[in-house]
Amino acid sequence: MDRREFMKSIGITGAAALLSNPDELEAKTTWAEHFQKAFRLMTDDEKDQAIKRLEERYSEEHGREVKVGKEPAMDGVLFGQALNIQKCIGCRRCVHSCVKENNQSRHDPQGNATEIEWIRVVKMEKGNFSAEDRDHGHPFKKGEEYGISEGGHAHNNVGVVLEGEHYYEPKKVPEKDSFYFPIQCHQCENPPCVKVCPVKATYREADGVVVIDYNWCIGCRMCMGACPYWARRFNWGEPNIPKDDLNTDTHYLGNRPRMKGVVEKCHFCLQRTRKGRYPACVEACPVGARKFGNLLDPESEVRKVLERKRVFRLKADLNTFPKFFYYMD
Amino acid sequence: MKKIMFARDFLMYSVKGGVKFYVWLLFLGFFIMLWGFGNFQQLTKGMIVTGLNDQTTWGLYVANFVFLVGVAASAVTVVFPSYIYNYKPLKDVAVIGELVAIAAIIMSTLFITNHIGRPDRAWHFSPGIGIFNWPDAILTWDMIVLNVYLVLNFICAFYFLYKKYSRGKINKWFYMPLIYISIFWAVSIHTVTAFMLNTMATRPMWFHSIVPIKFIASAFAAGPAFIILAFIIIRKNTKLIISDAAINKMSEIMTYALGITLFLSFSEIVTELYPGTEHSYSLKYLMFGMHGLTQLVPWFWASVIINVTAFIVLLIPAARKNYALLFYLSALIFAGIWIEKGIGFILSGMVPTPIGEFVEYTPSIIEIFNCLGNWAIGLFIFTLLVKGAAGVLTGEIKHDALNVSNQP
Amino acid sequence: MNCMKKIFIIIVLTALSPAVIPSSAVLADENKSTKECYESIEGRTNRDIEPLKSGEPNIKCSTATGAVLLWGDPFDGTIPGDTASFGLEAAPESVFVRPREKNLKYFPCTMCHEEEPGQDLQIMEPHPITMHEDIVKNPMDLQHGKGSIWCFDCHNVKNRDKLIDRKGKEISFNQPVKLCGGCHAGILRDFRDGIHGKRIGMWSRDGKKRWWVCTECHNPHDVEQGDRNSGFAELSPEPAPHLPKGMTNAEHERK
Repeated sequence: MDRREFMKSIGITGAAALLSNPDELEAKTTWAEHFQKAFRLMTDDEKDQAIKRLEERYSEEHGREVKVGKEPAMDGVLFGQALNIQKCIGCRRCVHSCVKENNQSRHDPQGNATEIEWIRVVKMEKGNFSAEDRDHGHPFKKGEEYGISEGGHAHNNVGVVLEGEHYYEPKKVPEKDSFYFPIQCHQCENPPCVKVCPVKATYREADGVVVIDYNWCIGCRMCMGACPYWARRFNWGEPNIPKDDLNTDTHYLGNRPRMKGVVEKCHFCLQRTRKGRYPACVEACPVGARKFGNLLDPESEVRKVLERKRVFRLKADLNTFPKFFYYMD
Repeated sequence: MKKIMFARDFLMYSVKGGVKFYVWLLFLGFFIMLWGFGNFQQLTKGMIVTGLNDQTTWGLYVANFVFLVGVAASAVTVVFPSYIYNYKPLKDVAVIGELVAIAAIIMSTLFITNHIGRPDRAWHFSPGIGIFNWPDAILTWDMIVLNVYLVLNFICAFYFLYKKYSRGKINKWFYMPLIYISIFWAVSIHTVTAFMLNTMATRPMWFHSIVPIKFIASAFAAGPAFIILAFIIIRKNTKLIISDAAINKMSEIMTYALGITLFLSFSEIVTELYPGTEHSYSLKYLMFGMHGLTQLVPWFWASVIINVTAFIVLLIPAARKNYALLFYLSALIFAGIWIEKGIGFILSGMVPTPIGEFVEYTPSIIEIFNCLGNWAIGLFIFTLLVKGAAGVLTGEIKHDALNVSNQP
Repeated sequence: MNCMKKIFIIIVLTALSPAVIPSSAVLADENKSTKECYESIEGRTNRDIEPLKSGEPNIKCSTATGAVLLWGDPFDGTIPGDTASFGLEAAPESVFVRPREKNLKYFPCTMCHEEEPGQDLQIMEPHPITMHEDIVKNPMDLQHGKGSIWCFDCHNVKNRDKLIDRKGKEISFNQPVKLCGGCHAGILRDFRDGIHGKRIGMWSRDGKKRWWVCTECHNPHDVEQGDRNSGFAELSPEPAPHLPKGMTNAEHERK
């Protein structure tokens, strides 16, 4: 092979390498992705194109065939969930099934991505009233004769959500002196997060689920500031999803892999629930504490809970009107 | 033509100076280099390079943003006495107030750009091609008021300078309405920024109707502090004459505003701590620490000591007239309000999270690079603007009719 | 010679088996669970990871505890539910259960209990017994019913592979709902309406569901709460979240 031919062949292989370079495919799709409209303003054609682009990019990136759905809200359906705090044993299976189902970013020891969990289980004290504290009020000793103004059991944190433990790690749950309180997106009917979004990247869908258009979010995190339930998470780095643990059945507004710099949160597993399936957390709960269904159907499980049990909404004073209820037997 | 000449002359003059001038610009340039590195890191790796997390989603960037919007608003403390009370000593240099506003708005825009996760998608909120969630989202209000304020100040300052340069007469019917609007607008920018925070009902530290007025009061202390610093430095280093009366007026405003700020802080503390509800946790964390976490406590007390001491000293008229002392007091107040508003108010509002988690946030080195860089860029621009403006105001650059006729 | 041939075939088959069923091997690796997978209670509801027709695994388990976190096919390995025993008027084709018998430690019971029991075993008052200590630690203090219940209130003496209700009707170990519901009527009512107990599958009212039966979550020999403070067996929890950036420990939570 003479020099000229050699150079030529290098040129050809180089060009071929360039053309087949996955980076180029990615660059192309990202470019198109970058200039696409907000999802709900797209025509059907544009939606299909956007989805095709995503499916190609995801399949390329993750080395598996990824399907991105666009199922709309079902007619006559308003999703709601009720959680029995009497039953919850704090095992965090909901948290981890949610992570797997919804392609949340996993902890990265190198520090290029943070761990994201949409559900936070708070462990709460059952109260520790002791006889010796009875008379240790304020004022103590001096001035006592005029009456104690603050009892010795003030600051006993039984049932105080803000005093819970988030990082409990006992050998076994439930622990004798604790109960547990899972918190996630409450799918508010009056969502403060939607109101503050400057670009309407997050909004309420017809079935009552508050969704995020990950391609439209600008990452300003106003919603994270406004959410009373600390339900929203941010992709601080490029999300870290193990290839073999990717859920390839996704939804555009649901669990498709996110990108860095955008906000995400629970969406009642749109990719499942809009096809009739229970959300992952409901199925994972080993004690059946989570009930899910159509709030418009009086015979649905969640409506039966509302009919028969004592329910409450967290932070009702904020008038957010969650469609996530807590109840007790 | 004349306008192009003005731009050229202004620019040429503003970049020429002595050794001290270039050393200062080089000093700023060093931080701008760090900024370049920091921004590159953040844009390529994502915001993971900051110290922020899901618990503390807003940190130093927002803290500086809020503080600088206040500084921008405080241009009104120069403009208002100048044009409403027709206070001559200030009116001569009122344009410097407007230049402060321009530089401060540019800095706050830089901080917001650093704060958002996808600056590449900024076009999403441009009306027409994107979605602008107005009037629902207060952030959209903030974008409107800040941009309009920037334009207003730009027009006011450069129209004035241009007329000075070309020795033309100011058209009162054009200029004065803009001045009146900009006075109103200055108050609006900080009010809206306050609304952005204090309408978050889930963050009790911020959910106070006292926040907008306290923001404005503290801004009118920090802003004049900055302007006094600028006045003293300009007086020393350029030929521009800034009268003692102008400085005295600013220190007076600063003293009053600082007094009101302290009073409002005091009211807030009493209101929160007396009933001691769950809603006071952020403030308790800030003042005394909670659950053994005390990172912000020294900052809070430092700002209290600085602001109270400075206020007491400033109440003495002689102290206000001692410009060497005033210089340090102004620097202290500027720092004190920055701590109070940025670190104290913004960061503690994030602790605990709405569901009670206490997390201490430490800014990363990249974050600090970016913050310093944003300040450096702002001060760089401000230096050049003031340099050019001083040239115009002293008459060193002016339109030369002969020169014009020679131009093709 | 014949014997040698057999051995040879066995060796070849064993060697080939990973190649014959590679997908299951891959799936098991994917789940990376070194622990055994189980549904509700460790050791009592174990399951194997197998590939579905789609190639996806039937279940995905936690790498930390082995607990099943996701069901690829909620009806994998289920049988139709006995809706009559659930107290359902209609018999919709939407009720499925997973047979309990597979998971019972000693099933079928008739392997040992072949004969009619002697008179002494038919005493219905609590008395010491010499076997099944692993199931009932102290029969004198059975953790169910405070002494008012004895083994043969629920177990069929005559056919040990079945349970028996108060009317003498045989009940399968797979669907003990009606037996338990005989006393726990309020719970049965909630169970029927889907607000007690666990179901997976489709959320809609008539949707196909797998219903968990009582004994999948509760240990009938130990339902009184004791130290557990809950009607459920104690479980190993999934790991806590990683500490947020800037925090080195969570000690402050306990202060």
